[in-house]
Amino acid sequence: MSSINESTGLGVARSSPTLDLNEIQATVLRQRPAPYFGTHVLFRIDDPKAGRPFLRRLAPHVDSAAGWWDSADPWLAVGISYAGLATLGLPQESLQSFPEAFRVGMAARAPQLRDEGVNDPKNWESSYGNGQVHIGISAFSNSEEQWRSIMGIARELYAGFSGVSIVAMQDFGAQPGDLNSLGYKDGIDQPAVEGSGVEPLPGQGRPIKAGEFVLGYPGEAGVPLPMPQPDILGRNGTYVGFRKYQTRVGSFNRFLQAHGNTEEERELLAAKLVGRWRSGAPLVLAPQADNPALGADPHQNNDFNYSADPRGRQAPFGCHIRRMNPRDTQLTRLTDVNIHRLIRRGTTYGPPYDKSAVSEADDEVPRGAYFLFISARAMSTIEFLQQEWINEGNFMGLGDERDPIIGLQEEGATFTIPRDPVRRRVRGIETFNVLRGGEYFFMPSLSALKWLADSGN
Amino acid sequence: MQTQGQAKAQKETAPEQSPIVQQKIQRLRELYADAPELGRVALEKGLPNLTRELVAATGTQNAGRIGARQGKVSELTGIIPFANGGAKRLRGLLQALEGNFRGGDAVGTLHDMRFVFLDNDTKLLFATAYDGDWDAYIDDFVTKIPDAMDLLFCNIEGWPGIHSPSAKDFIAKHQIAAEAWYVASPNLTVAETRRLEQVGKAVDEFLEKIG
Repeated sequence: MSSINESTGLGVARSSPTLDLNEIQATVLRQRPAPYFGTHVLFRIDDPKAGRPFLRRLAPHVDSAAGWWDSADPWLAVGISYAGLATLGLPQESLQSFPEAFRVGMAARAPQLRDEGVNDPKNWESSYGNGQVHIGISAFSNSEEQWRSIMGIARELYAGFSGVSIVAMQDFGAQPGDLNSLGYKDGIDQPAVEGSGVEPLPGQGRPIKAGEFVLGYPGEAGVPLPMPQPDILGRNGTYVGFRKYQTRVGSFNRFLQAHGNTEEERELLAAKLVGRWRSGAPLVLAPQADNPALGADPHQNNDFNYSADPRGRQAPFGCHIRRMNPRDTQLTRLTDVNIHRLIRRGTTYGPPYDKSAVSEADDEVPRGAYFLFISARAMSTIEFLQQEWINEGNFMGLGDERDPIIGLQEEGATFTIPRDPVRRRVRGIETFNVLRGGEYFFMPSLSALKWLADSGN
Repeated sequence: MQTQGQAKAQKETAPEQSPIVQQKIQRLRELYADAPELGRVALEKGLPNLTRELVAATGTQNAGRIGARQGKVSELTGIIPFANGGAKRLRGLLQALEGNFRGGDAVGTLHDMRFVFLDNDTKLLFATAYDGDWDAYIDDFVTKIPDAMDLLFCNIEGWPGIHSPSAKDFIAKHQIAAEAWYVASPNLTVAETRRLEQVGKAVDEFLEKIG
């Protein structure tokens, strides 16, 4: 069985880890496998007295990040929302030590997240936005067989466990080529975490201070970020954001057909929206046509910056990947890109992308993405991204233009493609990914998980 | 039976007759009842103009944590006590910078910044108009321009240092949200203004070439 290492081609250049890998949950550092299979399960604690026994049963099965670069086994990840921590009976003092955005929950942060219109929490699926989501468990695996086996273990843990019920459950992955709901290879670019035990892959940039991603370590400003109390609860923990998107494949395909006469034109237009071709090959390295070999190689497919593309002629300023990580792009405002990064563990769900799907019914096929993101300041980062880099264009001198893939589009939205002699401005950009629900989770260390399970009455 | 003209006249004056506007006028009359006479006279004489403004009034947004906002432009106003010797040091620094603060260019979102010394150099009035939300880029200042921040703010009583987790709370504590905030071009961010300056120049050059 190939290790995660081989299947993702992760750089084998090792360095001494300085983080407490035995404490940090595996999913913070382990890459999404390729191919990947898994399930998200969201639980509600109905009976407060059942919460801690549930965690006690779960804790031994939650994996740490020890030896993460070598490990091929499937793993479980656990997150707890504020509502979950409160139901577990965490003391007020401790609850109050969490950041406000986490305390009020993602639905209440809709103004800061710019989750309005179709993305407004009042339109979310019924499982989300009403304080029901207490504990989230995700299982990841690189084979169908191992996935079924770990789900078997998980089912034994919670089936028939009275006092805790499932509010949402979704299998994910198993897509041909691991393509996402728009038919693209995704999840390529990740921040390199200092002290994690491996050298950065080409293009990841310098390792970023661990404290940006794991609580208790110095961040980029040289000091640790605020940590929930007591120490055993906060240290080596982190925050996970969870945003479920429904992909309007019909709208996306109709848009491409409206603005491209040939297959070639449509594919180029789509690549200009994303910043990569479907294979993952970045426009900066492959400006004219896709290069599947380049896209498939993790040592090449991210090895670029924007110094050779200062006018956005290859990768438009407003394209998705340039917005999500501007790298060395000259921005209009003083920005430290290294404090706005997220570790991403997104997963695709539903049937694969279908190029011929153009109807409105195709928009409603349950198909899309779970955007899972990890950072020691996940709430402020996603709120910053939503305000500044996704639903705004000012940081790149793009006026009101928004991210064409995950932005919430207004009537008459445009997308500018820099070009000689005159730029092309495409109209008719719609909201291609609609938010269906989400929540902020705390991802405790292994010791914190045991402490939560054992402490209290 | 009304003539068309009469009906039209009624429609045109309708907004000024709306209950909300009438209530506002009534309220203003009550408030100004104890104003100096020239104020009371001005209210009645200027009522037609004032009524038009009341009808046209649109709201104000907030800048996030604290402060007012119009469109994309937010305001931050604070009255902050100087630390011992702080006024002298800050005045010296600002004079060395020739009374300007071009360092603001690097930030990219500052429309203007005002440093006014009050009450015999015991307090600083700091006021700025900037683009976007209150919170968005403060963390970037911490990692990119920490020295400039501490050089300025060390002159303030109680400044915890830009690296302190309570730095943001400190700023917010001394900030007073504006009661009213008028911005002539609420959609014109600093970046957009710069872009339009360049575009305007290019268009002028083009017209000269073809003219």
